[in-house]
Amino acid sequence: MRALFRDLLTHRELLWILVQRNLKIRYKNSVLGFFWTLLGPIFLILIYWAFIRLLKIPIRIDALITGIVVWQFIATSMGDSLNAVLGNANLVTKTAFPRWLLPLSTVCANFVNYLLTFLVLLVFLLVRQAHFGPVYLLPLILLTHFALCLGLSFFVSSLNVFFRDVEHLMSVILLAWFFLSPVMYTNEYVSQMIHEQEGISCSIANLLQACYLINPMAGIVTSYRSALLSEDLLPLAMFVAPFLLSWAMLLTGLAVFQKLEKRFGDEL
Amino acid sequence: MNSAPTQNAIEVRDLGKKFLLHARGEATLKSVTLDWITGRRKSLREFWALQDLSFSVQAGETLGIVGANGAGKSTLLALLAGTKEPTTGTVETHGKISSLLELGAGFHPELTGRENVFLAGAIMGLSRARMSERFESIVEFAELNEFIDQPVKHYSSGMYVRLGFAVAVEVDPDILLLDEVLAVGDVSFQRKCLERIGEFRDEGKTMLIISHDLETIKKVSHRILFLEKGGMQGLGEPNAVIDDYDSRSRKLQSSGLRREWGSGEIQITSVSIRDVNQSPSEAFRFGDALTADIEFEASERIESPVFGFSIADSEGRLLYGNNTQLESFEIPFVEGTGSLRLRIGELRMGQGDYLLSFSVHSADHKKNFHRLDHHALIQVTSDAAFEGCYMPLQWELNRE
Repeated sequence: MRALFRDLLTHRELLWILVQRNLKIRYKNSVLGFFWTLLGPIFLILIYWAFIRLLKIPIRIDALITGIVVWQFIATSMGDSLNAVLGNANLVTKTAFPRWLLPLSTVCANFVNYLLTFLVLLVFLLVRQAHFGPVYLLPLILLTHFALCLGLSFFVSSLNVFFRDVEHLMSVILLAWFFLSPVMYTNEYVSQMIHEQEGISCSIANLLQACYLINPMAGIVTSYRSALLSEDLLPLAMFVAPFLLSWAMLLTGLAVFQKLEKRFGDEL
Repeated sequence: MNSAPTQNAIEVRDLGKKFLLHARGEATLKSVTLDWITGRRKSLREFWALQDLSFSVQAGETLGIVGANGAGKSTLLALLAGTKEPTTGTVETHGKISSLLELGAGFHPELTGRENVFLAGAIMGLSRARMSERFESIVEFAELNEFIDQPVKHYSSGMYVRLGFAVAVEVDPDILLLDEVLAVGDVSFQRKCLERIGEFRDEGKTMLIISHDLETIKKVSHRILFLEKGGMQGLGEPNAVIDDYDSRSRKLQSSGLRREWGSGEIQITSVSIRDVNQSPSEAFRFGDALTADIEFEASERIESPVFGFSIADSEGRLLYGNNTQLESFEIPFVEGTGSLRLRIGELRMGQGDYLLSFSVHSADHKKNFHRLDHHALIQVTSDAAFEGCYMPLQWELNRE
């Protein structure tokens, strides 16, 4: 653990350059450049909004927008993570530096983008005079969200070096995960469905609800909505499991990455 | 950095590196799962690029590394640079390492030369401020003035290597690892590189240099490490090691043409090539005498066998062949062991390497008992520059 912090300290300049490079390359050769960070989610919101009206899913536009903005961070992070190591084969085979800075810089670059969209979201919600909840929890939520993305990025970036199948698998898994997480719908909608089921006692219903929330993204999206919109307010205890799981993902991801990185040089 | 009690900049102990080669194509989840289920590692083949290598390099020493392609030179530098992990043994280095591995620096093609310089500095852990101080001299050394703000993907290979070398040298390392940098770039840049390497040497920095340019490496190195098939074949004083490498690599080259075949009733058990003083030798001068002692063993009684020999050039093209039958040297029969001596009074080939073949066959040429094709290598030196075999001759000019 101390070694990791030492790496970070001695190579902070490198991390900064890598983050800059990720941001720069993303918008290279595009006329609108950075505006795509905003335009992407806006188009998505419009598309989903249209579909949700058709499907008659009860969700307010504020909740939908929050969900999509939050989801975009993990979606773009995962997409970029596929190439975090592979795309830097030249650096990995020719120079020695802490390899884990590669997925870290990828997620950091996406985090920068995410924070900017998040700011726009905050302004939007202010204008709409949203009913803010416990906003003081936001730093913890953002950090946990970051930890989850980084943990997954460690997995994806290192495994993809050895098995290109990861690329194909991931698009499927991301799609399934998207529908399993309360992005296009709310957690409230889920709990209503659970409680409407006949022949289920209250305690079992609560258990099912807790199971649903074990999905870290379910917990994270719901916590954002609680903090920003006072929607989906749940007892804090319900968030312990998904949040702990996110941090556990970070640690296991790092462990896997550090095991696999020893063979990066041979494989690339 | 690490103030160790030892004076050595590099300490390599029992170093080994194993690669798993995919027998067919790339690893996929399917192939790996199949291997795992069947309990075999069929799609992977092991290959030891380096094995049981131990040596140390003193601080301030320049170590040259030579060896044929695939001998493990580049793998060794990669292990020292830390881009690959050893399978066995340890590598200990003291000081900041900078490297230029296998024709290319760790540049990002999309970034400009300038950005890549700072990227390289950051990888070495140098601050932006310190890199800015050195920036001018890097650009100047690499002769890239107007191109420094172009993406490096537009660079020519020469520009690429120049920048790579300039950066590797200017980041002020304690240990510099160079893989074949002298093979690229134009002559003037090569000279500049050599000058810089010389300065580096004088500054008391440690260097490891791989090169196929034997003359140069002999000049710049304090010691030379000779690798063969992943193991140490020699380590020591440059001239001696290079001479050894030179003669061994000639042999290795010719060994590709070597072939042994025959029905086996008579076996040629050994051939030794000797000079005029009857001592074993491979080096001859034009006009020298050569003796070949051929020992054989016949498992049964063979009537009137014929022993022959031939001389070919280093690429296996036949120059001269003769045998006991053609020279009317009668061998009534052979049985059991025996030996035969061939004496060539005067070698009349031009300068070069030659391959000697030996054979024993039946009188009617229908049966080859034993043939040693391109069995022995000899070197001939000559002051005259004619080609092939020399034949006594005269020229005559008539002018009308």
